Amino acid sequence: MNELKIEDLSCKRGESKVLNNINLTIKSGETLVVKGRNGSGKTTLLRILSNFITSYQGKVSLNDLSILEDNLYNNKFNLIGQKNSLKDNLSIKKNLELWDIIFNETLDHVKLLEHDNLDHLINRDVGSLSDGQKKCISLYRLNYNKYEFWFLDEPFVYLDEVNTNLLIEKINRFNENMGIVILTSNINLPKKFHKEFNI
Amino acid sequence: MLNLIKRDLLLSFYSSANFFFTVSFFVLILILIPFAIGTQSDQLKNLFKGVVWIALALSIIITVDRIYNADYEDGNLDIIMQKNKTIEYLVISKYVTHWFIYCLPLLVILPILSFLFYLDYLETIQIFINLFIGSFGMVFIANFVSALTLGAKRTIFLKAIIMIPLFVPFIIFGSDAGSWPILLGLSMLSFVISIYVTAYGLRLYGE
Repeated sequence: MNELKIEDLSCKRGESKVLNNINLTIKSGETLVVKGRNGSGKTTLLRILSNFITSYQGKVSLNDLSILEDNLYNNKFNLIGQKNSLKDNLSIKKNLELWDIIFNETLDHVKLLEHDNLDHLINRDVGSLSDGQKKCISLYRLNYNKYEFWFLDEPFVYLDEVNTNLLIEKINRFNENMGIVILTSNINLPKKFHKEFNI
Repeated sequence: MLNLIKRDLLLSFYSSANFFFTVSFFVLILILIPFAIGTQSDQLKNLFKGVVWIALALSIIITVDRIYNADYEDGNLDIIMQKNKTIEYLVISKYVTHWFIYCLPLLVILPILSFLFYLDYLETIQIFINLFIGSFGMVFIANFVSALTLGAKRTIFLKAIIMIPLFVPFIIFGSDAGSWPILLGLSMLSFVISIYVTAYGLRLYGE
């Protein structure tokens, strides 16, 4: 059972204060949707949670141990940022091979892409795909499954209805396996998740 | 660390055009010399010993965008930094791959070029040793400049302006045959500075 706790979190970016006294608790099997206007600090919050930003006031802890001191923490989460992490000049197949090496896990790509209805794209160059297709491939990283947390930054942007539902289904399944999901979103989602937070 | 080296090598193998460009760039710069000053063997010989360093410096400058910037722009750097908690290891593996992909091919082709410039095998070996040692130092410098200018797009000129003065000591001592210990010292010095500054630059980017 994991418990991720954010206490009195404040963070400055340059001169402006983007996060002000945030208190949140999220437990295994839950999904938190972070909402807020453009520039309100949603991405900053995710980058604090993923240990990229380390200068902030307040405390973020996993099971009462600060994430800054937890050496194993970095192997526990899967962060999907707004960038796709794809090389435009390579085919999807080659991109996935490169990911396999970084993630240190070899997946059965054909089968998994088939499940997401993306298998026909496997030999296409990433540069020739639409933004929506790129986003789908970028979310393919969720298949690497050693993780206890998913941090998703605007995952629904560019996705059509079918793919949105597919992603929601994946998030639900991850929650059932006691995973924690924190996602940011500006749009109204078709499904209510466990918790919502307005920055 | 080994994963990252493997990944970078595979990536450069997939986009092997990059590597081919660097080698041809290096060769073409050197081939320009006889066109400019004629083919008298003594003159060519002396010029080659100096110009080969300028060619190496320019070849490293044109690759500097590919060290961290490419991964930064498409978002892969986030994943890489997350997986490599000790950033110094990440930096060292980047040194290894950058040198292996962009400097080693130039050293391999060097004996053929020096034959074209009438150098005998002893002189070739001396140049080879100097370039081998000096290229490491130049790679260290290129890495920290790349890390410090992360996020600044299309700034190859800025990077060149920062890097060229830092390459000057290598070029001064590089063209002198017996000065490999000085080059070794310079390379070691730039390693110490570079690993600290590169890691700092990457952490700063993460913020």
